[in-house]
Amino acid sequence: MNKKLVSAVLCGTMVLGAACPVFAGVADGKKIALVGKSAGNAFFEIAAASYKETVEAEGGTVDVVYPEAATADAQIKVLDNLISQDYDAICISANDVNALQAKMEEAMDAGIKVSSFDSAPNSDSRQVFVNQAGTVAVGQALMDAVLDIAGGEGQWAILSATSQAANQNAWIDAMKSIMESDEKYSKLELVEVAYGDDEPQKSIDQTSALLENYPDLKVICAPTTVGIAAAAKYLQDNESTCKLTGLGLPSEMIEYTGADDAHSCPYFYLWDMQGLGKLSAYATIALANEEITGALDETFTAGDLGEYTITTADDGGTEIVLGLPLQFNSDNIEEMAKLY
Amino acid sequence: MAGKSGRSINNVPESPIKKMLFSWEGILVIVFILVNIFCACFSEFYNLKSLLRQMPVYLAEVFLMLPMAYILVLGEIDISVGSIVCLCATMSCIVCNTGAPFVLVVITALVVGTLCGSVNGFILTRFQELPPMIVTLATQIIFRGIAEIILGSGGSISASNTDGFRLLAGKVGSVPYILFLVVIMAVIFAVILGKSTFGRRVYAIGTNRLTAYYSGIHVQKIRFIIYTVMGTISGLCALFIVSTSYGANTTTGNGFEMDAIAMAVFGGISSTGGKGNLAGGVISAFIIVCLRVGLGQRNVHAQVILLILGLLLIGAVALPNIIGQVKKAMKVKK
Amino acid sequence: MEKKSIVKKITGSREALLAVILILLFAVVSVISPSFLTVKSVTDMLKNNAVTMIMSLGMLCVMLVGGIDISIMSTLALSGMSIGMLLKYEYISNTVVAFAIALAIGTACGLLVGLVISRADVPPIIATMGFMYVFRAMGYLVSNGGEWASAAALGSFKDFATTKILGLSCVIWVIILCYVVFFFFMKWTRTGRKIYAVGSNANAAEVSGINVRNIKLLVYMIMGFLAGLGGAIQVSVYASAMPDMQLGGEMDVIAACVIGGVSMSGGRGTVLGALLGSLILATIAKALPLVGIDPLAQNTIKGVLILVVVVANVVLQRVADRSALKGREM
Repeated sequence: MNKKLVSAVLCGTMVLGAACPVFAGVADGKKIALVGKSAGNAFFEIAAASYKETVEAEGGTVDVVYPEAATADAQIKVLDNLISQDYDAICISANDVNALQAKMEEAMDAGIKVSSFDSAPNSDSRQVFVNQAGTVAVGQALMDAVLDIAGGEGQWAILSATSQAANQNAWIDAMKSIMESDEKYSKLELVEVAYGDDEPQKSIDQTSALLENYPDLKVICAPTTVGIAAAAKYLQDNESTCKLTGLGLPSEMIEYTGADDAHSCPYFYLWDMQGLGKLSAYATIALANEEITGALDETFTAGDLGEYTITTADDGGTEIVLGLPLQFNSDNIEEMAKLY
Repeated sequence: MAGKSGRSINNVPESPIKKMLFSWEGILVIVFILVNIFCACFSEFYNLKSLLRQMPVYLAEVFLMLPMAYILVLGEIDISVGSIVCLCATMSCIVCNTGAPFVLVVITALVVGTLCGSVNGFILTRFQELPPMIVTLATQIIFRGIAEIILGSGGSISASNTDGFRLLAGKVGSVPYILFLVVIMAVIFAVILGKSTFGRRVYAIGTNRLTAYYSGIHVQKIRFIIYTVMGTISGLCALFIVSTSYGANTTTGNGFEMDAIAMAVFGGISSTGGKGNLAGGVISAFIIVCLRVGLGQRNVHAQVILLILGLLLIGAVALPNIIGQVKKAMKVKK
Repeated sequence: MEKKSIVKKITGSREALLAVILILLFAVVSVISPSFLTVKSVTDMLKNNAVTMIMSLGMLCVMLVGGIDISIMSTLALSGMSIGMLLKYEYISNTVVAFAIALAIGTACGLLVGLVISRADVPPIIATMGFMYVFRAMGYLVSNGGEWASAAALGSFKDFATTKILGLSCVIWVIILCYVVFFFFMKWTRTGRKIYAVGSNANAAEVSGINVRNIKLLVYMIMGFLAGLGGAIQVSVYASAMPDMQLGGEMDVIAACVIGGVSMSGGRGTVLGALLGSLILATIAKALPLVGIDPLAQNTIKGVLILVVVVANVVLQRVADRSALKGREM
């Protein structure tokens, strides 16, 4: 009796939900959603702010949406929500290479344009990817930094985020192949790739283990914002002779950057975060306006950034490369830390 | 006593309609209706079609709620299920990529799940002194760790042949298969828990394990079976998760155990054991799904949604208790 | 005779068994990697695990009354993030004030949790699960939608972790202070004994005139207080405040207590046990990368080790019980 009633009410409510009228607003311009990796990521916020500013200046609207956790499962739920809402385009920084494919295909089938930036889903899941800096260019810059800081020879190690971070792995692979391809790196010895999971605690455990296991270690390269800050603090506090480079946020690294022995990090790299947001915004708008389809060799104008061409990405899809990584050192860090 | 909801409002008149209305399940149904009305007003995109389209991802977690309810009724907890889902998803993708028929993929997921569940069950029954929370915490780390080792550097795998998974994600009209399966499974689990000898024994163990043992119930056997079934169902959940993502990675299934526990507890199943029934669990699962879809469709910040769910969870358990206490205090005054 | 009783004492005490396990662990790791057993390495380890070590004291109290608290790392994030933002926007600059604010926020969170559990009779796991989401979300809101307070923004506050008194970092002194205070508090104060009484048998405690509800409220406030302290320490040690600090870390604290022999059903557990438990976990975390285990396998090994330690504890306890029984028969 009870159960029958329950099921009857359940059905009734569902019908009620379906019958509820749909109020569709007529929005001016394009409606775009920007999906982050997780909430509370300062790195993403900077690009998102610039993305939003750019699109709004062009007359569109942007909703910045976060998954509840930094997982692909949570992003799938977000994408489901977005597909229901008649967006013109979705731009995503993916938590996993493969796991978003089903939902991204569904979005494209529903006529939503799909672009990505920062961290790409696989080539079947996107129309275009805005790469902050060419993978090889980042690998080259980091490799040269390691060579320079180590003084041409010696042991070095990598402190990465998690083992499945797609962009980290791509940079590490690029560094490894660059190291093998050129004779000048032959005296460098990569002793270990450690994973700090982007947790300060674990990053410090890994850093101290590296130092204890390899007393002659000259350089640690940490291509991750949390890892580089944690390692920088540890090295600086312990007045270690081991130096650090990698990819980090200037505002996080300002205390540790300097050419003298008192600082643990002589210089490090990142790209133009504001530019990344801006270029991604223009790329998404161009997709939504069907100026580009994401095919190879198409060109579009990204406001005052100039003209960009779509090129082949390492994974077989297409990408737009923002530019070269920027170097931050004791000369410019004060100024850049105010920006991001 | 057993089978009754974990929560009820005291001093309700004994007329059958009122009794039903004031039972926890009755209140949940009212909440369900209110949530749907709220969502429909709140989000212009909230309708049956969008709800059915977005449901499958959440429904996969509802599967986990069913055996989790049994474990909670036992007065225990299993926090390794998310990791079991991860391992099963990983293994099923690997088997799928060898070109094996899809039946084999399904069997792999279920067998791997069952094995993981029986490992939990074995340790917990062999060393009864150990608290389930700590054992399943260890196996949570281990199962996900094994998946990490299997996935290697990169930590992600994509199913090369997605036909089978696309079939699983299929629909009759606009109703996804998974909804039918959830309903069928829910009925089976509810009937076994509520009407069978096995179910009665689960309640008996949850109410007083020692008494149950002395009255001849094979306590350890029942615990073993339940933990094993929990694993099997995690395998089932993994299949549907893969059917929404065509792949697996080291974070697959992260936090599912908490979602499953929250659904069950909100449905009136007591975490201290011996109380609650599955009807409440299923209704509350749908309340949570509808609320998340509705709020999500207006891009409410994910953390705010979690905040609301957290308050709802505390409120759902605290309010009846507070009302009961106030009523009691007033009675004393009189 | 004398000797036998000592042996009996050792095999009979949970803490002694744990100490043996810890020493074994230390020995194995130092053989494989000699640099492990240096003063610097050990102080590093303590500093890096300060948060877990301090908070396992609070969890000890909570678990002694048969409760559990999984909201603690959210409390930590809320209090840590709050002082991080206050320092960043220069509302405060004094380290003492920052600590006081973190402790106040932590205690307030604990009070709220305690009220819901002790007054509204909500099962601890449910109440704290709810608050886990609530406090974490509040941490995100405080962070202004995802800002970090970085080293430069924290000013002199972060110096707390690098300042040394008598050759030991302040953070380590805080750990020592907490453990000493709790050792006396749990063993020799009236309130400490009341906590044990409530955990052993709440009804008996009630009848003998202990206000069970207030004791329950108190333990969650202690937990909150220590979580607030943990927040300040976390921000200071890592010189950075992020809203997702220590996500999932509560399980480490619970594991430390259970490994340390604290019963999840209440009434049994000691400060020494909590110390040994958290030291064992800290050693595992520190040793795994040190002994050269493949990074991908480290989590699995950690899980297996936790399982082995708790199972070994049970087995040794059984052996001890059996031999104790034998002794009685004779």
